[in-house]
Amino acid sequence: MAQRRTIGPTAWLLGGAGLLIGAVAAWLISQGNPGNMGLCIACFLRDITGFFAGKVTNQGAVAYIRPEIIGIILGAMGAALFTREFRPRGGSQPLIRFVLGFIFMSSALVFLGCTVRAWLRLGGGDLTAIWGILGIVAGVLIGIVFLKKGFNLGRTKTVAKPLGWILPVFALVLLGFAVMSAAGSAPDWTLLTAAGDGPGALSAPLLISLAAGLLIGIVAQRSRFCSIGGIRDAILVRRYDLLFGVIGLLVGTTVVNLILGQYHLGFINQPVAHNDILGNFAAMTIATFAAMMLGGCPLRQIIMSSEGDADSTTAVAGMLVGAGFTHWAGLASSGKGLSAIAWPGLAVMMVVLLAIAWYGTRKTA
Amino acid sequence: MKEVDVRGLSCPMPLMLAKKGIEGDPAEIMVHADSGTAKANVVAFLQDAGYTVTVEESGDEYRIKGSR
Repeated sequence: MAQRRTIGPTAWLLGGAGLLIGAVAAWLISQGNPGNMGLCIACFLRDITGFFAGKVTNQGAVAYIRPEIIGIILGAMGAALFTREFRPRGGSQPLIRFVLGFIFMSSALVFLGCTVRAWLRLGGGDLTAIWGILGIVAGVLIGIVFLKKGFNLGRTKTVAKPLGWILPVFALVLLGFAVMSAAGSAPDWTLLTAAGDGPGALSAPLLISLAAGLLIGIVAQRSRFCSIGGIRDAILVRRYDLLFGVIGLLVGTTVVNLILGQYHLGFINQPVAHNDILGNFAAMTIATFAAMMLGGCPLRQIIMSSEGDADSTTAVAGMLVGAGFTHWAGLASSGKGLSAIAWPGLAVMMVVLLAIAWYGTRKTA
Repeated sequence: MKEVDVRGLSCPMPLMLAKKGIEGDPAEIMVHADSGTAKANVVAFLQDAGYTVTVEESGDEYRIKGSR
């Protein structure tokens, strides 16, 4: 094979995209978002579940409609429509994708953050994130073993057009509730974390969050930024574009955190984090393994869903439901550490993931 | 001409198949894709591998042609 160019123009584009997303995420903390949580797809989806179901699922500390999510969906949808990339599609094992999304969320809540926040935590000086990032590498490696054996969930097909619009419509519904909440007129059955009761009460103002989300959505859709794809592609196909994305994310967030005086280096007393080394490692290994089988990280799932991918929508739905379950079952970690049932929970999740991986490999063998 | 069909496949399958497609250095390769992400990734991949790439859009399909 002829010599391949290792680092092409798209690598720099992705590096710039990561830099921007990381910088915006760090800036959002200065605007009111929780520490080292300027952006977190798992946490923010979890907060949204808390808003709707938190009274049932014991999510008093984490209930708020995160406008960043609304912005990301609408921004990505706009960019996809503008570039004629919005295409309703689906039918590639939606049920399995729901389960993968569910497990992704459950394990992410044991780590306390998604594969995006792992990098952002490190960029805020939280060294406990290192165990999670090692878990990301391990999850990628396990996923690669199955991909090389032929794992895939099958091809999508063109589906009925309305199916492609589910997440954008959901975003508009969320926007309605967010505006009602901001005006103090959310319905009684919803839940908003009271000031001082937990990270759900820490947030940037609605319009700032929304605008930041729109920007991130557009940039992520155009660049195809992915928080696990970088390591995956570097190992699997020797392409480094996406890796530049996460390096950019880490650099952007670190620099802005330093400038804003938000950088606190160390292992202890990090915001919304714990230092259970094995727990952090195992939880992110499982989350990443699930994301590998979904074909991308949770941010990518939201972006693809906003481009009309109904399968990604079911993955996001799995994440929303999984968040409620994880808190209801007492499986989520806290700053103090893992819950009593974290290890049995992680073991069950790993067994289910291996079964899905085996199924997806056998089917195509 | 070598033909590869990556329509409907999740990441990283399009890249894996495109990589397999250029094994043996074909002078021309045609990749059929149907998502913006697969198109962007395959185009960048082929360009980095030294191909001159043109993309033709027909219906829901991107026909990505690489030649050298």
